[in-house]
Amino acid sequence: MTKSQKNRIGSIVRYTLLTIWAVIVAFPLYWMVSTSFKPSEQWFAWPTVYIPDPWTIVNYLDVWTDRQEVATGQYIISAQRPWIAFGNSLMIALTATTLSVVYGAVIAYGVSRYRVLSEVRMFQLLMLRMIPPIVIVAPLSLYYSALGLLDTATGLILIYFLTTLPYSVWMLKSFIDEVPREVEQAAEILGAPRWRTLVEVVLPLVRSGIVATFLFILILTWSEYLLALLLAKTEVVTLPIELSKYQGTTEGRVYGRQAALSVGITVPLVFIGLIIRKHLARGFSFGMIRR
Amino acid sequence: MARIELVNLRKEFGALVAVKDINVTIEDEEFVVFVGPSGCGKTTTLRMIAGFEDPTAGEIRIGGRVVNDLEPRDRGLGMVFQSHALFPHKTVAQNIEFGLRMKKVPPAERARQVQEVAEMVRLTHLLDKMPAQCSGGESQRVALARTLVTHPSTFLLDEPLSSLDAKLRRELRAECDRLHQALKRTFIFVTHDQEEAMTLADRIVVMRNGVIEQMGSPMEIYSNPVNSFVADFFGSPSMNLLSGEVVHESGMCRFRCASGGFQVGLPDRFNGLPAGPITLGIRPEHVNAVPVGNGATNDLELAVRLVEPLGKETLLYFDVGMERPFVTVSESTAMAELDSGARLGLTLAREQICLFGPDGHRIRAGSAA
Ligand SMILES: Nc1ncnc2c1ncn2[C@@H]1O[C@H](COP(=O)(O)OP(=O)(O)OP(=O)(O)O)[C@@H](O)[C@H]1O
Ligand SMILES: [Mg+2]
Repeated sequence: MTKSQKNRIGSIVRYTLLTIWAVIVAFPLYWMVSTSFKPSEQWFAWPTVYIPDPWTIVNYLDVWTDRQEVATGQYIISAQRPWIAFGNSLMIALTATTLSVVYGAVIAYGVSRYRVLSEVRMFQLLMLRMIPPIVIVAPLSLYYSALGLLDTATGLILIYFLTTLPYSVWMLKSFIDEVPREVEQAAEILGAPRWRTLVEVVLPLVRSGIVATFLFILILTWSEYLLALLLAKTEVVTLPIELSKYQGTTEGRVYGRQAALSVGITVPLVFIGLIIRKHLARGFSFGMIRR
Repeated sequence: MARIELVNLRKEFGALVAVKDINVTIEDEEFVVFVGPSGCGKTTTLRMIAGFEDPTAGEIRIGGRVVNDLEPRDRGLGMVFQSHALFPHKTVAQNIEFGLRMKKVPPAERARQVQEVAEMVRLTHLLDKMPAQCSGGESQRVALARTLVTHPSTFLLDEPLSSLDAKLRRELRAECDRLHQALKRTFIFVTHDQEEAMTLADRIVVMRNGVIEQMGSPMEIYSNPVNSFVADFFGSPSMNLLSGEVVHESGMCRFRCASGGFQVGLPDRFNGLPAGPITLGIRPEHVNAVPVGNGATNDLELAVRLVEPLGKETLLYFDVGMERPFVTVSESTAMAELDSGARLGLTLAREQICLFGPDGHRIRAGSAA
């Protein structure tokens, strides 16, 4: 076998595996989107309906507007308020993520440049994240009720901020480590005060990393379920909690509506991802700075 | 104005002493080269002068003023890093302009000065490029320009030429020299390349293991090394070092080589030397090689192992049963034609012989021992 033949076989195998993998990954997404356009009788029809026929947007109208269309009579759902949940999620996730990334960046810089945390402490920080949230949620809800944080946006922001902080510190540290110290020192000896070195030299060089970290944390907080369920739920409802309300003992699962809501939850993330994709590619490939 | 004094300067990293109580005074407008093998503390010394490392003990004075507690930007120094450390997200012009912006120079004046300095180091055609698009030598010049434009009183250069090929190195070496002449500033240059040190320096500071072994002009260091380390470090090919012992024969003091079994008479000033182990050093150019059998008396006769013609001169390598071959350099064209194995008679220039004691220290005369 010649070398080029080997290469061809190699790439055929590679692409076949990747295609299979892509199908496995993409199928649930496809299923979500297609279900959201199906009329109610096709939600769990047998034989399986893969492509909605006829297409309908009634699920979307039902979930996202006040219009109660035909199919509803069959499944009576308590009045849902997805837009309020959407607003809550947006506010809580963005605030918590911003806090996490800003604080994370400050700590990561301190660790990278001044070792404010030793290696052991850094590892302990990561270990914190390995505790399953279910372990802390019961005592936490006691504290929260004592502090009046239960069922408040502030309470959720606080816990999201704290639980994602280890991730942002670790991720951002790896980006800051990539910026050679000497580049900063060069700015310093050329007369730049500390803050200008940070703003003009360090920040532009880790911008992609910050954006990548931001999106990562945003996805975590945007789709968080357990803490939102146990620490909030009635006054403050986030989208994942809202989603869980589309099923019940009497109504059964309202798949079409759920799918329509899920699409609404997913689209903003995809949208943000598209806007910042240039940074993501760079942020996740590291090593952008030539030494 | 920019006289720099290092007084008992010391730097420890935990248990490791990187710089051991060194004392150096660098005069205004002097070109001083710190040279030594890897890990001897050159960079650490330079970084202490710049203010990036706090000395464990000792003082740094610039223009008579103690600057230990001064921020790097307040010391009036310019530094070119070994890695160049350009700002990768700024164009060459923006890189050069950075220092001027920090000094709040107005834009029009900035542009003029950037242009001026770019012409000086010949990189006007690069001004709009990004650092990643520049070659090693170009980055080097950008780093230099970026520092030049701020008119520092002193330039600190940390192995600035180490990443370049031989030709560029020579070119930029000449450029450094030219700049030093033109600017009349103090230059502190760090390198581990003895040739760079020899060609550039007004004064060389030789370091080893955090200690200064010798300071002096290049010629002083070359012709009058204080120990076998310095002798060995300078010169290419380096000095021949033969271990052996001092023997006395009929009132004459002679050196007997530990291997090869030959003896060489020593100059009279060594007459008082006691018998004992010693190292003899002689530079390749101080050994005269002639074909055997022409009637002259030679110190020793050896078979050539390798002939290396360099054009103007020829290097001859001999095996003397030691780790390193014995090297001589000959300007005679006949030598370039020699086959290996040919026997040559060698004569050592008596007055050029250096002797080093067992601890490596130079022995200058018999009475000293
Ligand atoms: N930040 C540091 N922490 C611990 N040890 C250090 C640090 N910086 C330098 N050293 C040690 O100090 C010694 C001197 O280092 P230095 O960088 O000054 O050497 P150098 O003479 O510049 O060598 P080279 O020619 O390889 O650049 C080395 O043994 C080095 O390992
Ligand atoms: Mg160094």
